[in-house]
Amino acid sequence: MKKLHISKKTKRILGAIAVPIVFIAFWQLFILAGSPSARFLPSPYKVLQKFVILFSEPTYSHNIAVSLQRVMIGFFIGTLAGFLFGLLMGLSKTAEKIFAPFFHAVRQVPMIGWIPLIIMLFGMNELPRVLIISVAAFYPITLNTFSGVRNVPREYLELASVYGIKGIMLIRKIIIPAALPSITTGISLGLAMSWSVLMVAEIFIQTAFGIGTQIQRGRDRFDIALVLAGIITVGVLGYAMTVLVQKILTAVERGRVISTVK
Amino acid sequence: MSDNKGTLEIRNLSKSFIVDNNPLQILNNISLSVSSGAFVTIVGSSGCGKTTLLRIMLGLENHYTGEALIDGKQIIGPGTDRGIVFQDHRLLPWLTVGENVAFGLDKLKQKEKKFLVDEHLKLVGLNGFESAYPYQLSGGMAQRVAIARALANKPEILLLDEPLGALDALTRMYMQQELERLWLLEKITMIMVTHDIDEAIYLSDKVVIMSSRPGVIKKIIDVQLSRPRDRASSDFMRIKAEILQEFHLGTEYPFAYAI
Repeated sequence: MKKLHISKKTKRILGAIAVPIVFIAFWQLFILAGSPSARFLPSPYKVLQKFVILFSEPTYSHNIAVSLQRVMIGFFIGTLAGFLFGLLMGLSKTAEKIFAPFFHAVRQVPMIGWIPLIIMLFGMNELPRVLIISVAAFYPITLNTFSGVRNVPREYLELASVYGIKGIMLIRKIIIPAALPSITTGISLGLAMSWSVLMVAEIFIQTAFGIGTQIQRGRDRFDIALVLAGIITVGVLGYAMTVLVQKILTAVERGRVISTVK
Repeated sequence: MSDNKGTLEIRNLSKSFIVDNNPLQILNNISLSVSSGAFVTIVGSSGCGKTTLLRIMLGLENHYTGEALIDGKQIIGPGTDRGIVFQDHRLLPWLTVGENVAFGLDKLKQKEKKFLVDEHLKLVGLNGFESAYPYQLSGGMAQRVAIARALANKPEILLLDEPLGALDALTRMYMQQELERLWLLEKITMIMVTHDIDEAIYLSDKVVIMSSRPGVIKKIIDVQLSRPRDRASSDFMRIKAEILQEFHLGTEYPFAYAI
């Protein structure tokens, strides 16, 4: 009996697209069934047509570029600040005592709760948009860096003290490498937070360009296909970014923790 | 070292920990003198304070009464004159074998560093492994890297805290031979904590027997057998019986050993 040979890679791709295909099939069936609530829902084909139109217009790619840039700047600032703040609280019990209660209280306020205040203070500018994106990334990165630094095994610290390693060298040679897995977890979570807050930033703090703006515009014109195209764009781009960052972080860790088997 | 470096002198040392607001005495009036280039083992059941004593020698425990001197000088904190091998190899998982051995050599130039790393990996029989990572090594290999790391700093005294405790019996005996070879080669003082009496007799010039609560030195036994030692010889057995007697584990008919 001859067995059909499917490579592992093909299997993985098939596995990954199976659910979207089933989902689209149900979507189509829902429309074909003529359900009353599907009255305004465009068919998958209509959304695909919308994508074709979008790709032919320069606005779409510009919207994507603006959104990506916004997220990258916010995420970068949030990562840097979160890493430094987490490191500080992790290293110093005094800093933790001073800052932790405030930090944890502020953290309880959902990002959307800040929007009215931020708009009143800064107006509808780029600054508040980038600010809330960086704050969203800041929380998980701070928390994970902090716990990574706090949980450096005592044995490693003892080893460093035997060899007279302290101060900056201790941070560089022991604390950061030992905390790295936790820090990278924080970075991945921070990216996801940044990306999800991007929509809040773009829809509530109105702006001329961005994928959020496109979704908002679709709503204003009652163009559901445009809204759906925007949502799909956000999902696909977010997923691509997560995979990319995950790959980079894995490579960084592999370089430092586990070498590829020779 | 022939120039009388690497001597250790402990005089009337006592140490207590505070447990639930009550002082708990760990070490009571310990006096011990280790001459340059000697191999001394400290044996005792768990909780006798032998590891604490070793940590005092290392400089990680600083609150005690009495004196602890190295080459006549009070021990203040850890220093490069002492190396340590812990029971867990304590290699840093994100560094290669070579980088781990070079861990304490930051102040040296790249070339000197490489020379010392190569020299010491060769010494422990692991040349060619410098770019491997700790997770790729067996327990015995990892412990040999840890020994290379400790020796690369050229200590006068090597402290060993149950270094072979986590190894299987055969690897352990092999590593005991290796330790003896390194000790003969490097001619430095070695002080080892162990709970393995055979290991102590096989390696040491002096076996220090401690008993617990509070930790005191019960007896110091000189082992004057020629090297390499035969673990099955009657002299070896006689010394073993003598030590076991101290732990009240000796046989009731000690003459059975005196064939």
